[in-house]
Amino acid sequence: MESTTSTKRPSLSEWFKTITFYEILVGMKATLSHLLNYRPVTLQYPHEKRTLPDNYRGMLALLRYDDGTEKCVGCDLCEAACPSRVIRVVSAEVPGEPTKRYSKEYYMDMTRCLFCGMCVDACPVDALGMTREFEWAVYDKRQLHLNKQQLLAIGDRSFPTREKRLELQHPNVAFFNVAFKHVPQKSD
Amino acid sequence: MTEFGLRLAISLTQIAAVMGIVVITVLILTLAERKVLGWMQDRMGPMEVGPYGILQPFADAIKLFFKEDIIPAGANKFLFTTAPILCLIPAFIGFAVIPWGPNQTFEVGGITVRPFIISDINIGILYILAFASLGAYGIILGGWASNSKYSLLGGLRSAAQIISYELNVGLSIVGILILAGSLSLVKITDAQAGGFWHWYLFALPAPQIFAFVIYVISAVAETNRVPFDLPEAESELVAGFFTEYSGLRFAFFFLAEYANMVLVSCVAAALFLGGWNAPYPGTILALLGAPSLAWIENTMWFAVKTYSLLFLFFWLRATLPRLRYDQLMRFGWKVLLPIALGNIVVTSIAVFIYQQMK
Repeated sequence: MESTTSTKRPSLSEWFKTITFYEILVGMKATLSHLLNYRPVTLQYPHEKRTLPDNYRGMLALLRYDDGTEKCVGCDLCEAACPSRVIRVVSAEVPGEPTKRYSKEYYMDMTRCLFCGMCVDACPVDALGMTREFEWAVYDKRQLHLNKQQLLAIGDRSFPTREKRLELQHPNVAFFNVAFKHVPQKSD
Repeated sequence: MTEFGLRLAISLTQIAAVMGIVVITVLILTLAERKVLGWMQDRMGPMEVGPYGILQPFADAIKLFFKEDIIPAGANKFLFTTAPILCLIPAFIGFAVIPWGPNQTFEVGGITVRPFIISDINIGILYILAFASLGAYGIILGGWASNSKYSLLGGLRSAAQIISYELNVGLSIVGILILAGSLSLVKITDAQAGGFWHWYLFALPAPQIFAFVIYVISAVAETNRVPFDLPEAESELVAGFFTEYSGLRFAFFFLAEYANMVLVSCVAAALFLGGWNAPYPGTILALLGAPSLAWIENTMWFAVKTYSLLFLFFWLRATLPRLRYDQLMRFGWKVLLPIALGNIVVTSIAVFIYQQMK
């Protein structure tokens, strides 16, 4: 009998393995061992939650200083840094103080946000923060169009310990957390 | 007339009891399958409804009951409505000839009642096979009447598969019929009494081990279960023949599938594993001096055998991937069929020699 190279005649042990379903039995042993050593990897999500990492990038929020004044100086850098055009800032002068600016209106369209954190990096006064909130599923997507009050409220509940306002950093003056030595000191 | 009425009442009670047991078993199976599959895949299975999810079948039933009943545009309404019923009835009707327990009798108003045997037809196993084949009509008509390409393909696949594997089921049983000399499931079960070495799986002169393996494989294929679930292959055909079905009609198909699983497991237990006979001679309860309670032990053994086979179904589902269609057909016709035929020849010769020697 001529044996071609492609069809090799199975050996006796291969025959035996075939008729006893050896490979299937090996697979069934694997599944049974998982049944007997039952260690589920499931996390019962709404009832138990995993611990998030420290640098978790969740919901965005606006922050305040310890005396309750807003950090935001209305510089629009976050709006410029945002790749998805989430942020819209309407900047304005503080009434009566022409050199000081603040964000009169501040909107975030969270339906478009991709949580890259570039706005937080761009902010010169650390007025933006990323919280650990992620359960923001809503029935109406207009609820994800947030205004300044809502963003400040998120910041208030997520960052209870606030940064101390230094005298150099007047809330509405863009000194950008850096002491500019060549700039004359404020005298007020 | 009163005698007839009494007989009717007794029969209806038996039928209701068996139907109830089967439906409860199906409810348990739907949960058990998801749980066992989950455990085998390091998951938990349903956990939300009730403690550890044990009320999940009831939640599913309520959901299916209140779902909208959609008949797709262009569907043949009559056949679309009939198909689930055509599928469900053959699945349930086969349980009529299964012996659930010992052949004991008691008298009610002058009538002898056999509580664990609804009907002892002398062609019991043929009756089951015939009605199991009728179930294919429900599937193929449902697939055709849905006016959907997925349903039609699923129905066609299912018909081809059921016809191919029916043959192997029938042929693998022939060896048992030669050994027992009867088609009645009651007689076949009675002939296996007295310990597991009398079960036809192991019994001399011709142990039916090959026939049992063929029967189990073919039964899995016939009930459209993984790894032979081509009729409802979700990655190819959405859901196969019941793609367009929803609500109660879908529940009927679902119920039929699981009832078929229970039926083939019961038949396998009755034919190969000694039915309600314990794997040791007699019963422990009879030895302890309560022969009137021995039926508890016997029915328990029947349940244990049936549930073990059902567990095998889940186990296979957790382990094996789906076959390709040509593999399915080649395996059925070129592998299982010759082995089944060879088993018949070997069994016949063995039985002939055995009888000559006696």
